[in-house]
Amino acid sequence: MIQLTRVSVGYSGELLHAEKLELEAGKVYALVGRNGIGKSTFIQTISGIQKQLAGEITMNGQLISEYNPREIAEFISLVDTRFEGVEYLKVKDYLALGRAPFTDAFGRMDSNDWRIVEEVASDLSIQHLLEKNTDQISDGERQLCSVGRAFVQETPVILLDEPTAFLDYINRKKLLELLVRLSREKKKCIVLSTHDLDLCLDQKVPFLLAAHGTVSLHETLSKETIIEAMS
Amino acid sequence: MAMMAGAGLSLSGMFMQTLFKNPLAGPYVLGINSGASLLIALSLMTGVHFFQSNFGLIGTALIGAFAAGLLMMLIAQRLKSQITLLLVGLMFGSFTSAIVSILESFAGAESLKSYTMWSMGSLQQVEFGQLGIILVIFALGIVASFLLVKPLNMLVIGEKSAALLGLPIKSTRMFVLLLTALFAGLITAFCGPIAFVGIAIPNLSRILFQTTNHRYLIIGNILIGAIFLLLTDAFIQVLEGHISIPLNALTSIIGAPFVVFLLIRKLR
Repeated sequence: MIQLTRVSVGYSGELLHAEKLELEAGKVYALVGRNGIGKSTFIQTISGIQKQLAGEITMNGQLISEYNPREIAEFISLVDTRFEGVEYLKVKDYLALGRAPFTDAFGRMDSNDWRIVEEVASDLSIQHLLEKNTDQISDGERQLCSVGRAFVQETPVILLDEPTAFLDYINRKKLLELLVRLSREKKKCIVLSTHDLDLCLDQKVPFLLAAHGTVSLHETLSKETIIEAMS
Repeated sequence: MAMMAGAGLSLSGMFMQTLFKNPLAGPYVLGINSGASLLIALSLMTGVHFFQSNFGLIGTALIGAFAAGLLMMLIAQRLKSQITLLLVGLMFGSFTSAIVSILESFAGAESLKSYTMWSMGSLQQVEFGQLGIILVIFALGIVASFLLVKPLNMLVIGEKSAALLGLPIKSTRMFVLLLTALFAGLITAFCGPIAFVGIAIPNLSRILFQTTNHRYLIIGNILIGAIFLLLTDAFIQVLEGHISIPLNALTSIIGAPFVVFLLIRKLR
């Protein structure tokens, strides 16, 4: 689905290098690595919002740079976990923005669009938040809403940048299980950066290991190997 | 004219607040008016005569307003704090008024008087014949505003998130800024600088309508802005026989405390 060939990511200097990676539909990839190693930059580079320093990223065989922003938005969603909430912006309207790539020039939502919002809210158990303002809920609740907005976008590829940072243990576990289920049922390709090694190991998801300047794909990894590779 | 000035300035403030994601933005505090004023002062006092026709006046103000908006946007992108932008705007205002003062010392008595009159802000100096042109531009601006509802609603969650939802950021920015300059420039050209309407009314609209949906905010700003300046203008005319209060002074007396209230409420 997404292919990276000799891609180097970073701003002024190279942070991470991926020699050859192929991300497939129907899988959840856990991007792990230490703070500041470039996980966020890596994710943003795949999303097309940040340009890679070198190499090629293709999505369905076509270079990502050849798509326009709207086409990318129909294909890839990225969860911005640093959303701080906006005064008077209701959760349901925030989720509804995920439909923006598909609504008309005035952003009008039809009944199908609202049905998708309702479904996502119930998947994430955040129905009770829909009428609340995004600046008046907790950090964890807001994080679930951000994830929800990406689900509402209904893209084949979902990228999540530390979606579990503010969540309690139960919610972390539930979210990861939901991601795995979604990837299988709806054939989505999901990449999340996370520090929850144990939960990812429990779910047996493949790892994207970011260490010593390179990202590499491992179908199975033991906790010891990951910790050793990182240090 | 009062209604158009109120609505136009409020809309232009709303655009800036959404674009900069900063409730303290406005055409006056961020120097959009100053940009227009500076160019008008330049052409009034140096006697560069593309000023004669109505279009010249609008054009001059528009260029000034747009240039100032562009400058502010470039600076805003480098700032993290919302308040810093406000300070930069005030500095820009001081800077342009200093240049205007220097220009004044060179200017002849006649042009000095006309500039001073203009700078006090007035809704009465618009001639009936000019009203048609203003009305047409104003109406076009309103139509264009409604075309921007979706992009503005997306910008509420930040430029990066909006870009990820497929919004072409650069062209949207330019379009919004152009419309901001159109309203602010148009009103400034004909009524002089009118302070605080553009920062206060959009905030008031949000508080009253409890929404970030620009479909309603545009309507809210037009209504509240129009009513506010109409009342202010009526007040000035009632007192006309006794004392004459400059419009700019009255809006400042009402607007400045309101902005302080916003600062205390939001940022503490």
